[in-house]
Amino acid sequence: MKKFKIIVLMIMALSLFVVGCSSSDEGSSEDGKVELVAWAWNVNVGALEDAMTMYQEENPNISIKVEDIGRSDVYDKLSTGLAAGGVGLPDIVLVEDDRIQSYLEAFPKGFANLSELGFDQHKQNFPNFKNELASLNDSYYAMPFDAGPGGMFYRRSIFNEAGVDVDSIETWDDFFEAGKEIKEKTGVYAMSLDKFKDDPTFRMMLNQLGIFYFDEAGNIDLTHPKAVQAMEMIKKFGEADLIKDVDGWNGTVSATVDGSTAAIPFGAWYYGTIIDQAKDTAGDWGVFLLPAFEEGGNRASNLGGSSFMVLEASKKKQAAYEFMEFFTTESDVQIMAMKDYGLFPSLSSAYEADIFTEEIEFFGNQPIWKLFADEMADVETPYFTKDFSIGLDEAIKAQASVFNGEDPATALQESANRLADRTERELNQY
Amino acid sequence: MKKRNVKVRKFGLYFLLLVGALISLFPFYWSAIGATNESGSMFTKPPTLIPGNQLLENMSNLNEQIGIGRVMFNSLFISITYTIIALFVCSMASYAFAKFKFKGRDIIFTIFLLSMMVPYHATIIPLFKMMASWGWLNQYQAVILPNIAYPFAIFLMRQNMLAFPTALIEASRIDGASEWKIFYKVVLPSMKPALAATAIFLFMYQWNSFLWPLIALSSTDMYTFPVALSSLFGLSRIDYGQVMTGVTLATVPIIIFFLSLQRYFISGMLGSALKE
Repeated sequence: MKKFKIIVLMIMALSLFVVGCSSSDEGSSEDGKVELVAWAWNVNVGALEDAMTMYQEENPNISIKVEDIGRSDVYDKLSTGLAAGGVGLPDIVLVEDDRIQSYLEAFPKGFANLSELGFDQHKQNFPNFKNELASLNDSYYAMPFDAGPGGMFYRRSIFNEAGVDVDSIETWDDFFEAGKEIKEKTGVYAMSLDKFKDDPTFRMMLNQLGIFYFDEAGNIDLTHPKAVQAMEMIKKFGEADLIKDVDGWNGTVSATVDGSTAAIPFGAWYYGTIIDQAKDTAGDWGVFLLPAFEEGGNRASNLGGSSFMVLEASKKKQAAYEFMEFFTTESDVQIMAMKDYGLFPSLSSAYEADIFTEEIEFFGNQPIWKLFADEMADVETPYFTKDFSIGLDEAIKAQASVFNGEDPATALQESANRLADRTERELNQY
Repeated sequence: MKKRNVKVRKFGLYFLLLVGALISLFPFYWSAIGATNESGSMFTKPPTLIPGNQLLENMSNLNEQIGIGRVMFNSLFISITYTIIALFVCSMASYAFAKFKFKGRDIIFTIFLLSMMVPYHATIIPLFKMMASWGWLNQYQAVILPNIAYPFAIFLMRQNMLAFPTALIEASRIDGASEWKIFYKVVLPSMKPALAATAIFLFMYQWNSFLWPLIALSSTDMYTFPVALSSLFGLSRIDYGQVMTGVTLATVPIIIFFLSLQRYFISGMLGSALKE
């Protein structure tokens, strides 16, 4: 009996202890000190912390606590906090560009209007597509940060072995011929793609062609003749057996490391993956811009990128804005983020730094950052809208049925119809 | 001739078992190998299957990234505390449901079971609001307390309690034992196997729990192991050496916990075989 009482008491004590265990720190501003809280993932954490050290030279009373959260986990936390009425949220959050509009639509009062705080003056420092993605009704709600200008990451040795000159590839048709040559002589695929689960190549092609799942007015644009053209090109590569089907992200990395694909079309950020995972292949890599659809056509594209948003519920909105303005518009900060963390800036003044003309040894002494930087100004705006994830789902279905033998125009029409049902958006007729 | 047949059959059986064991052990082996090699090596062709020399390097990188000690402490503290409290609460509740007669008992029990059908995600926002209004966000109790009355654990314990002879409880009552004493001295000792099974279940549940700790805990030093591991996944730069090291470390406590309770499992099985 005694033993039992002791156990009950111990458990009660344990419960009390648990409840009493509080590590609450509200970061209250006694003696004028302000601690900002930011949510970000991966390399962005270090970039924010280093930028704060630079900022503190002039603003010694400010500090930042960056919580390192997995990229997709940020959205779970952010959505929960916003849905609960703005509790448990940070002052600053990093959001990918394709998510910004859906957050603004779902939580119109959740984020600070940055134009009211004065961000409009920086407009000319960012490429047009970044500005459009970061704003709603001509007001900024996000500060443009990194970008993912598109390129073909290719293996020099494979191209050399097949005797293909990269500079001669200007159009997708050229690349198709080159791919056939490579396949014949080396047995290696031209590119890799997760045929049934993701569509990055299709998205970059649409972006090149100046269209997207949706148009500027928010209407569904998947049946646009150019979209059909892009899907037909992907089908052509598939039918000639030039596409290595990979399984998800890890499959892509695997194909990159083991040399079973000659080229990988991706955003500039793929540089980081290559140098991290494929260390043994140093010097064997190169980059060329995505081929155009017709001679002299647009070769600029973008895949990925993110921007910073300030929470409306933040009690330190002004301080958060000022620090993030410094972070996103100060060239030195952006150059640091690029050099130390591989985060490709969208701030145009940053491109004057040395690193953008440097020859990169890992990439056969090619100045790859210059290639990417030069591309930025020509990137068209992809209109993600709030229904991007549904659009993505349907575009992937269209691609999958094309690989299953469906005609591209029919597959896209079917996807567009379903998309119209699911989002109640207008469907453009051609 | 006959003897030989038996031998062949035995050989076949062991061969099948061996294949089964290999298949289920391979992922553990693979992650342990990944932990000792550098990041890109698991993607090479053929895949690397022998231990490398990068374990210390991966460990120190991982430690720098997530703080292994702190995260391990958080996870262990949360899981162990949760298991103790929840086991206590659930066994009492199941005892009441199984052996006491009171008005609305079956209805309450049904409601309890039905609550298992409510998708967990539907309760997250109300729960989050509740925690926020009590000022519990980013504190251990926000993760430990919400699920201490876990319907499935109560169900599991109740099924075992039902099998306990009511006559024994009544006899104890006649002998003058208090209700607490009956519960603690008479009923619980024979429930050890069931308690062990429930404890393993509760511990695993809390140890693997991801979404709620992710949402309720917001600072890096409060993270549990799964949340910290997930933070290793950025957009394009993933150090698989670190990930594999973390995954391997995260399975160790579960294995220890299971092994330490395993004998109750087995004794429970033997015990029920020899009863009466």
